[in-house]
Amino acid sequence: MPASLDKLLQNPRVWKGRSSLQQKAGLPSGYPELDRHLPGGGWPPAALTEILIEQYGIGELRLLMPALARLGDTQPDYGEPGWIAWVAPPFQPYPPALRQCGIDLSRMLIVRPADASEVLWSTEQALSSGTCAAVLFWPETLDDQASRRLQLAAEKGHSWAVAFRPMAARGQPSAAALRLELHTGGQGTNVHILKSRGGRPTILNNLL
Amino acid sequence: MSRAWKSPVTTRDAAPSASQQSLPFLEPAPLTRPLAPTAVQRLWFCVWLPGLPLEACRRSDEATAIVEEQQGIHRVLLADARAQASGVMAGQSANAALALLPTLALEERSLPREQQALEMLAGWLERFSSFVCIADCDVLLLEIAGSLRLFGGLRELREKISRGLREQGFAASLAIAPTPLGATWLARAGRRVCIRNEQNLAAALRNLPLASLHWPQALCESLRGMGVSTVGDCLRLPREGFVRRFGAEPMLALDRALGHLPDPRNSWRAPERFCVDYEMTEEQSDRELLLNICRELLLSLEKFLLARQLGAQRLAFSFFHLKGAATELRLGCVRADRSAERWLALLRIRFEQLLLSEPVIAVRLRSGLTQPLQAESVRLQFHDAGDGQQRRHSITQLAERLVARIGDQSVHSASMVAEHRPQYAWRVHSLLSDWSSTTLSEVRRHLRRPLWMLPEPALLPADGAYPLHQGCRLRLLEGPERLETGWWDEDGMSRDYYTAINPAGMRLWVFRNRKQSPAWYLHGYFG
Repeated sequence: MPASLDKLLQNPRVWKGRSSLQQKAGLPSGYPELDRHLPGGGWPPAALTEILIEQYGIGELRLLMPALARLGDTQPDYGEPGWIAWVAPPFQPYPPALRQCGIDLSRMLIVRPADASEVLWSTEQALSSGTCAAVLFWPETLDDQASRRLQLAAEKGHSWAVAFRPMAARGQPSAAALRLELHTGGQGTNVHILKSRGGRPTILNNLL
Repeated sequence: MSRAWKSPVTTRDAAPSASQQSLPFLEPAPLTRPLAPTAVQRLWFCVWLPGLPLEACRRSDEATAIVEEQQGIHRVLLADARAQASGVMAGQSANAALALLPTLALEERSLPREQQALEMLAGWLERFSSFVCIADCDVLLLEIAGSLRLFGGLRELREKISRGLREQGFAASLAIAPTPLGATWLARAGRRVCIRNEQNLAAALRNLPLASLHWPQALCESLRGMGVSTVGDCLRLPREGFVRRFGAEPMLALDRALGHLPDPRNSWRAPERFCVDYEMTEEQSDRELLLNICRELLLSLEKFLLARQLGAQRLAFSFFHLKGAATELRLGCVRADRSAERWLALLRIRFEQLLLSEPVIAVRLRSGLTQPLQAESVRLQFHDAGDGQQRRHSITQLAERLVARIGDQSVHSASMVAEHRPQYAWRVHSLLSDWSSTTLSEVRRHLRRPLWMLPEPALLPADGAYPLHQGCRLRLLEGPERLETGWWDEDGMSRDYYTAINPAGMRLWVFRNRKQSPAWYLHGYFG
């Protein structure tokens, strides 16, 4: 390749399309069909993932459980496994059910801040601390700037951030590396990939 | 009191008439001397702080005098060297002192602050002896017979204490004697002496003036009227008549000072809770300044805890205002700690949110119950270079930061409990109180349990035999799972649990009560 082309490619403004080389290995989701459509073959590590849902109880947690259980087992770059933080969950995460899914309860941290701004603060603290392998949070609002901040915190702490948001947030800009939408269909729950950094939007029917 | 051994001929105790500056010290006892197992000779080290009112209240380097109200007039009690050079003397009225030196800083005498300073010094002196006592409002006593060898002899020990007091800004008169009262009198008389043997004590005490005994004024005057001006004169008087005329107390004191009567003292113990105030001369609302004051307080807490090998888990700051109630700020951390820096980091988080309605006049720091600090084993870091800048916080630090900002109740962990009733099959535990991460029983795999649990079961309307959710009939997928248990306590239950799905695709965990009221309830979502 000529030197001038090399130089041009190094410019960060040049988008190079889907390149498997620059993708970091993702966190296997436990759903092979989903993994096939995600760049890196799994959830984006050290990044923000947004999950848009209409209502609770349609499989939003089941979608994450295999990956969360795997996070509790090993943490490749650090000796001991990481913690899983739940910030402002809408209901009580039920320990016996979590245990059935293989989650290590002794490494679970539940944070219930009193108001909305504290939710984002707590999430940022948990993400950037480097202790939490995953941080699940339920913000009331998450604007572009806040999502960018959390994305940076996730990169800094090598943590997987998962935001659960209502469907109304679909049109808002977001810095998340991955945005998913969950719909219930007749046979099960469909997963709609809205945005995927380095991947393509897709609809996966009846995944759950 | 019996003595352990006859002192060797080298004993040269202070001759009563000797100049007060000469210090005939003894060398530590040679090791060849047989140790007496039973009889213990005590040696008391007295620290008299004549300038305590001034030293405890001193705020600046300017010429300062302490005033005290006597019969409605503020009179100078003590003046420092610079004030004295201008002619300010004890007993003058405050106005006269100000006329002599207009720049004189006058401070009201503060007994609580003197007591605080005295306790601070007592705490400091505890490093030299296990027996420290606060004998009077300006006298500290140490029992040093047991400390001599450790500190390399009397001279060394005395030098250490004297230097330490000087460095902390206290002028003290020191004396050593075999009885506590004897040492106190000698120190008050300004005799810098060291008496190790009881038989030399009487001679040293004999020529002390009566004023150094701090006896009541009337008693001293009537004695002086009789021509009695020294301790020796008192001792020459017939005992019986002395007691009849002046009461038993003075004679008892003389006997105690001479060692004829035992004189037990109470050992002073430092309080295990830390509580220190920082008072300001005027109200302040500058947050940076207040934070610095808090930092000072935390540093003194660190010293306090370090001396006792203790840590504290909870702290409370109080910010006092001239008007209105004090503003409280509480901090907690997961493990008992004493590091001022760590507390300060937590404080900063909380301080940002703290609303101070009014300027602050004083800050108080109190520690909660202290506890022995647990030492922690840490892995040796051989390959620190690569990972150095990316230090990972431990979970405890994260939890502390979260708790500091959003409160103790809002951060918790959860664990399982071996219990059939779903609402009791788990419990919350605070990260601050019980830091034991134990995983209890395993759940049987075949039981379907929802990932989301409602805090309380919600009543569902019913359409005949079918429950309704969001206005639609629920379809029951699995069940029933019958749970009939808990009859032994007040919360017995008899329920049939089902997995249900609503037309929108939500999976619900519902139950029907079999006994009390046969209604449908929603208990969780399958998430």
